[in-house]
Amino acid sequence: MKKHTDAGKNIVLDIRGQICPACLMITLRELNSNKDKLKNEKARLVVKTDHRDATRTIPGAASAMGYSVSVLQRDRYYEITLEYGK
Amino acid sequence: MSGLEKIGKTDPRLGNEKLKRYIRDKVNHLLSVMGTKPLGREELDDNTLLELDPIGIIALSFEQILEHQKETNRRLTVAKDQLQAVFDTVGVCISIIDEDMRIVNCNEKQKELLVSVNTEVIGKHCYEIYCGKDSPSLDCPAVETLATGRPVFIREVKKKNRHFQIVTSPMKDAEGQVTGAIEVSMDVTEKKKVEELMRQAEKLTAIGLLAGGIAHELNNPLGNILGYATLLLKDGESALGAGQREKLEIIVEQAKKGSEIIRGLLDFSRQSVPAFQNILINDIIRKTVRTLQNRLACQGIKLDTALAEGLTVRADPRKIELVFLNLILNSIQAFEGMDRKGKAISVRAAREGDLIQVKIADNGPGIPEDILPNIFDPFFTTKPVGKGAGLGLSICSGVVREHKGSIHATSEPGEGTEFTVCLPAPAGVKGRNGKEDICSGSL
Ligand SMILES: Nc1ncnc2c1ncn2[C@@H]1O[C@H](COP(=O)(O)OP(=O)(O)OP(=O)(O)O)[C@@H](O)[C@H]1O
Ligand SMILES: [Mg+2]
Repeated sequence: MKKHTDAGKNIVLDIRGQICPACLMITLRELNSNKDKLKNEKARLVVKTDHRDATRTIPGAASAMGYSVSVLQRDRYYEITLEYGK
Repeated sequence: MSGLEKIGKTDPRLGNEKLKRYIRDKVNHLLSVMGTKPLGREELDDNTLLELDPIGIIALSFEQILEHQKETNRRLTVAKDQLQAVFDTVGVCISIIDEDMRIVNCNEKQKELLVSVNTEVIGKHCYEIYCGKDSPSLDCPAVETLATGRPVFIREVKKKNRHFQIVTSPMKDAEGQVTGAIEVSMDVTEKKKVEELMRQAEKLTAIGLLAGGIAHELNNPLGNILGYATLLLKDGESALGAGQREKLEIIVEQAKKGSEIIRGLLDFSRQSVPAFQNILINDIIRKTVRTLQNRLACQGIKLDTALAEGLTVRADPRKIELVFLNLILNSIQAFEGMDRKGKAISVRAAREGDLIQVKIADNGPGIPEDILPNIFDPFFTTKPVGKGAGLGLSICSGVVREHKGSIHATSEPGEGTEFTVCLPAPAGVKGRNGKEDICSGSL
């Protein structure tokens, strides 16, 4: 798992290529630990994963917490962007 | 005993399995509460299950869900308050009713205009509360909207003595079924009054032009008739027989009456320009009363005055006198043929804010409600032909309007009639001490 913050204040979480990715749990954990940044500084959490299931589990949970979710299908992976509010 | 304690009581290895199953079940249960489908083993294997502490993560996520809910609630409350304020302060009546025509909600304006104070409305039938009926009327727009699911507009309907324009729109559920109706009513009572006044003013202008023209034309021949008849009377002093004299006198009298009517018409069509000056209203009232003294005495009518002193108006005295003369004459004429003891007319003058108010009231027969709206119309009269031209009050209203004042009548049939003339007090002119002494008298 790789994690970095890019120039545009995005927190990028790369969990591609993992056997058991636990995508949802890791995403939720990041949403929790970066709560202030995401809410007050309008940062975005970008999750890159090659597990299709994640695109079905993350949106429901994240939107209950007040995040808007957009899913982009890239070449060989999915890019899920979470943003508070909107 | 909690689930976890129970697990600890059995074989530790088995317990580990059970513990993992327990955590997985709980995690999936909590996720389903969050709105996410359960996770399979490939997304949450046994190791991660124990390492990641998913229940702890979900607990923190629930904290965010709660915060989000609170924030959403707060926003909803603000939005609701804003909507309620709009609902209540918008200038139209709004009412929401269900399929059975029971009131679900209504705004303040609706209550103000159509609901008696302290009446509970929610759950009551709208036709009962708003229309005072025990079933909906045939042309009720809400009935039609509930039946057809389409909006209905009604140009005008009378409810509780006010006039309304109404639009009803359907409320539908997700399946498109009509579940109720929203009724929006606009009070057009005042608008109607203004329209009525405009209509009358237009009529007055048109008739005024016509009448003024005719009056001018008639003035000459009538003057000739009067002149020659008077000449004949003088010249033929000795030559005329008594019967002929009498007939000539009738001609003179009738010709005079004719020219009076013509003067009235000219006044009415405002072809004589008012000569404004600051005058004491009481001087005019007293002068008018003096003119009529004889007639009042003859008919046994008592006239009382209650006049506040020092009331100044800016007016044309001749024209204002004409107004009072017409009003008092009408009262006198109303008593005619009336067998009544204590016939009385009262004239009161007082200052009301920026206005000088003169009230002329009698205890005569009163004016039937159905003709009250017409009495200021030109040529409207209930008097027999030759008695009244029906011009008196329309002249009064013309004159008063010229003075930027107003005139209106209230009447209780069988009890009497009261006319109120309001004239603007000229700026800066006050009664002594700002307050007037009332001076009363009677005739
Ligand atoms: N004080 C009153 N009491 C009862 N009815 C009145 C009174 N004043 C006016 N009216 C009614 O209003 C009608 C209109 O009055 P208005 O003065 O305009 O005409 P008129 O008196 O009939 O005729 P004219 O004034 O031209 O001689 C009267 O015919 C009468 O029916
Ligand atoms: Mg009259």
